[in-house]
Amino acid sequence: MIRVPMAESTPAVEIRNLSKEFRTSFRRKPLRAVDDVSIRIMPGEVYGLIGPNGSGKSTTMKALLGLVAPTSGSCAIFGKDSLKTDSRNEVGFLPENPYFYKHLTGAETLRFYGKLCGLYGKALAARVDELLDLVDLTNARDRRVGGYSKGMLQRIGLAQALIQEPRLVILDEPTAGVDPVGSREIRDLILKLRDRGITVFLCSHLLEQVQEVCDHVGIIFRGRMIREGRLEELISIEDQTDIVLKDASSELLEKITALVAATPGASVVRTGKPRTTLERLFLREIKEEKP
Amino acid sequence: MTAIQHQPLQGSHFRRILVIAANTFTQLVRMKVFYFMGIFAVIAIASNFFDLPQHEGPESVGSNVLRSIKSWSLGAMTLFSVVLSVVATALLLPKDVEDRTLYTILAKPVPRFDYLAGKLTGVLMLVFVSLLVMDLLMTAVLHIRTGMVVEQQMEMARAMGWPPEAIDSLRAETLANGPNLSLQGAVLAVFLRASIMASLALLISTFSTSTLFTTIVSFLVYFIGHFQADARDVWLHAGQEGEGVFARLAALLFSLILPDFQLFNVIDAVIEGQAMSLIALGKLTLVGLYYAVFFTFASWFIFADKEF
Ligand SMILES: Nc1ncnc2c1ncn2[C@@H]1O[C@H](COP(=O)(O)OP(=O)(O)OP(=O)(O)O)[C@@H](O)[C@H]1O
Ligand SMILES: [Mg+2]
Repeated sequence: MIRVPMAESTPAVEIRNLSKEFRTSFRRKPLRAVDDVSIRIMPGEVYGLIGPNGSGKSTTMKALLGLVAPTSGSCAIFGKDSLKTDSRNEVGFLPENPYFYKHLTGAETLRFYGKLCGLYGKALAARVDELLDLVDLTNARDRRVGGYSKGMLQRIGLAQALIQEPRLVILDEPTAGVDPVGSREIRDLILKLRDRGITVFLCSHLLEQVQEVCDHVGIIFRGRMIREGRLEELISIEDQTDIVLKDASSELLEKITALVAATPGASVVRTGKPRTTLERLFLREIKEEKP
Repeated sequence: MTAIQHQPLQGSHFRRILVIAANTFTQLVRMKVFYFMGIFAVIAIASNFFDLPQHEGPESVGSNVLRSIKSWSLGAMTLFSVVLSVVATALLLPKDVEDRTLYTILAKPVPRFDYLAGKLTGVLMLVFVSLLVMDLLMTAVLHIRTGMVVEQQMEMARAMGWPPEAIDSLRAETLANGPNLSLQGAVLAVFLRASIMASLALLISTFSTSTLFTTIVSFLVYFIGHFQADARDVWLHAGQEGEGVFARLAALLFSLILPDFQLFNVIDAVIEGQAMSLIALGKLTLVGLYYAVFFTFASWFIFADKEF
């Protein structure tokens, strides 16, 4: 594949001042699900969108995929407008709580989506096998999807999103309803995708995982982006330093504390087990926004 | 990464439509309900085998038996094809929206038109295959029964000492009621009518909120379509006294949107043993195509801006 130098500087995702209103028949005032949201994701980044239920995460993703039309603003994937079909050539999507045709088996499901992407023949068969193996469903490949458990559906959905080797993967709560082990596997898979240079745009309520896999994070609340940036910058506290010790005895801790106390200007803020800082950030931001 | 080349839009429209059609076809086949319907229709036609020929009647009875077989079979085909077209189409779209399978399909590089056309083609493929099976069965039954009837009539005519010309004309008359090309034309007409109904149901299901609504409205249009021509005539006569041009235009518009199912009365003529001309069949095909294409594009027009 010949790479045009320009292509690298084209953002994988470019959401500009996106607003989306839903007209609800029983309410006069339209519901503003997304309010002036802008997101730019460069190729190779892993971007996590977090926010409480109903804050507009899924709606933003749907607008990016052209499933809903923006009320104002625009979305583009690799520079192609989301409202055009060809923008979806290089994107894979896993919707929240995915459901597939119950009458198809796992392998048939992947074949169907592969054919929709223009794959066929040996290349398709090989790809299907590879993906079934990747999401650990080889044993269930000839079982009807109607009989799959929630976690299996999530995994076949993930495989389906990756079928045409897209350069961008959009995952709406990829670990919802998946057990801790499966959840960890999905996290590892996302890390694998990142290592292969695939751009990932995900949203999740598992902040610990978001913190582990994402390099960029956006916090959305009631349709508005309230905080956005590089994860490290967002959660680092400039005037503090962590020392994480392993198997430290209480004597050692006492010594360190005494040493700090003897040093003018420095102080111990806290000792204890490390915590997920993204979670704290999230809760703080949400609290600030709430009237 | 290098194995797959990214073209402007991978695959052709035609291929994608076929992929979705094949998927829809399997989906319907694997829904057991339609098996039962199909089996019912097959039994309805096959039951004609066991209806023993009446011996007492004069020469016309033989042809009546053949007519009743055709009428019964084509009736079963019509019922089956129209119900299948409407119900299957009315079921599929809301199901995809409800199960959110539509998200995953439209998130692939699939134009919305291809999706609609694929669904419609899938339903029509199933209708076509079912009609083909029923047609084969009907033709076989009719072939056997025609042979029996002709044999009986010949025996009777010879016993009564009919002149050879009279025997020949009776044989020709009976054979006209047997399986022939006009009968195949009638089956094609049944398929065309089902196609119109399927595309109509597709159009309604793009804006309706439930399968029940789609089904009811489709059947309403079906019945209106049978009276449409009469209504139009009455209206035109009324209009001639007043604003003739307006009424005429309105009537034209009306018939452009609402199919006139009286055109399919040629099927009844075939049951009566009349021949169906190639021109009549050609005209019917054009009418069927017009409505199917018109309804599909109208569906697309609505579906293109739909949000899920
Ligand atoms: N099709 C629709 N019609 C009307 N309102 C909608 C529609 N889709 C979403 N909404 C509303 O838009 C708001 C945002 O919904 P959205 O699904 O984007 O939230 P979310 O952030 O994904 O929530 P969750 O974490 O629960 O998945 C909600 O208030 C929801 O009720
Ligand atoms: Mg959501």
